Amino acid sequence: MSPLLAAPVVALAGAGLGVALYRGVFARLIARSAPAQAARLEGNSLLLFFGLSIIVQNVVALAFTPNNRAYAWAGDVLRLGSVAMTGNRLAALLVAGGVCLGVAVFLGRSVFGLAMRAVIERREAAQVVGVDVDRVQWVAFALGFGSAALAGVLVSTLEQFSPFSGFPFTIAGFIVIILGGLGNVTAGLVAALLLGAVETYGVALTSANWRSVLLYGSFVAALLLFPNGLFARRLRA
Amino acid sequence: MKDLAPNAWWAGLWAATLAVLLALPFVANAYLVGVGLSLLMWLALTQSWCVLSKMTGYVSLGHVVFYGLGAYLVVVTWQQLPLVLAVPLAGLLAAAFAAVVGLPVLRVRGPYFVILTYGLAELVKFSVMAGEAASGTASRILFGTPELTVVYFAMFALALASVALFTWVSRSRFGHGLRSLRENEEAAETLGVPVARYKLLAYVLSAAIPAMVGAVMALRSTYFVVGQVFDPMISVTVIAMAILGGGDNARGPLVGVLFLGLLSELLWASAPLLYMIVLGAILVVFVLLVPDGLLGLFERPRAGGRR
Repeated sequence: MSPLLAAPVVALAGAGLGVALYRGVFARLIARSAPAQAARLEGNSLLLFFGLSIIVQNVVALAFTPNNRAYAWAGDVLRLGSVAMTGNRLAALLVAGGVCLGVAVFLGRSVFGLAMRAVIERREAAQVVGVDVDRVQWVAFALGFGSAALAGVLVSTLEQFSPFSGFPFTIAGFIVIILGGLGNVTAGLVAALLLGAVETYGVALTSANWRSVLLYGSFVAALLLFPNGLFARRLRA
Repeated sequence: MKDLAPNAWWAGLWAATLAVLLALPFVANAYLVGVGLSLLMWLALTQSWCVLSKMTGYVSLGHVVFYGLGAYLVVVTWQQLPLVLAVPLAGLLAAAFAAVVGLPVLRVRGPYFVILTYGLAELVKFSVMAGEAASGTASRILFGTPELTVVYFAMFALALASVALFTWVSRSRFGHGLRSLRENEEAAETLGVPVARYKLLAYVLSAAIPAMVGAVMALRSTYFVVGQVFDPMISVTVIAMAILGGGDNARGPLVGVLFLGLLSELLWASAPLLYMIVLGAILVVFVLLVPDGLLGLFERPRAGGRR
């Protein structure tokens, strides 16, 4: 199956998995915790999903061997004027850009996006003014898992991968979220481009050995220096 | 009488564990001594992890960073510094490292703290790796390490020290301060608990022992690979053991270490992937369904009702 055809299927499956995990696991965790302990709830949910990812990685490794795999798809170089690019990278760029744009518009312009930002800001208050918190949360899980699954398909057309190659992407995702700030998709895009530039030019200027140092270094720096994001407006009362 | 029975049971478990581990090198073969050594290692690591993470609720996913730094220091100073100096120095170095990074790191809370400690450990790992690669050493071998019995009793001492430290912390005024900030940091601060200082102290205290454990384990393995002494799975295993045990005194980690340590001996060699699945499952099941750990299951009927 062509990756372009597989992508929507995988994204849907990912979204389904997200909803299933939300219903089966996360909703229970929320239901059990007192609101005053939100920080611990979030810490626990991180451990929970870390545990889940260990299980999934190793089950997949048992089922399909833990080796690196790759396949070739649309590797021909396309030229447009002075710009040269392989077809798979162009496809990844277009699909990812489209998804980002769609999500940004959806979250930024729709009532649902407004509701979601309200839930991020203050869950109880959102509930009081009539937001269906449960629905917002499961849709968020579906969107998040679905687009992550889609990104996985896109990455698989570019690089070799193994059951264990996901974690650096999680870290990269974290950096982008922290730099961009929660609930701000446009700033996230800028942060992602920034991180990509730091990684690419950093490796070009030093050596491939330093790639992970740069990645985790920007991660630690981001958390310590910009805990509210690069573009934080001071609105804490 | 009813109150005394569980305490006697616990005293018995501690005494039996210590007696078996103490006698092991004199009666058992090298394999069993190795098993005992790894139990002692996990005991020391998990108890020290609890000093910060069980007491304050700041769950560290980067405990391995201290372990790795300790191992690295011993390997770097190998045959230039006597071990009786190098091992305590490893502890001091890690405590100093914790004191320096602690202030900014401990300002970060909740899931961000969890992932930050992971990122920090990976950052140190890859920095050491890049440094080693730049100096052209991919791995190192230690010649003339002390024999197994010496390593074993050094680890025994560290495990004892770790249990003593956590027991002291969990019973002290300091420990009650940590518990109060775990429940509600702002309220604790309002009541006059020096929150920032207590957190930092807990972080520093929890850092020294794992570094010395790493230093001693480097002597046991006699070779040194950066990726191995900074393996994130060490942090994960420590968390799984602590959560499995539950509670916020030294009993919980003991139960967790005995259970998971022996299980890993059974599974690790024959089915490493299966072992990882079990580890992940323990994290999921205990975070979700048994947040008070095995200890909570034991003690709930006696305590009568949950908090």
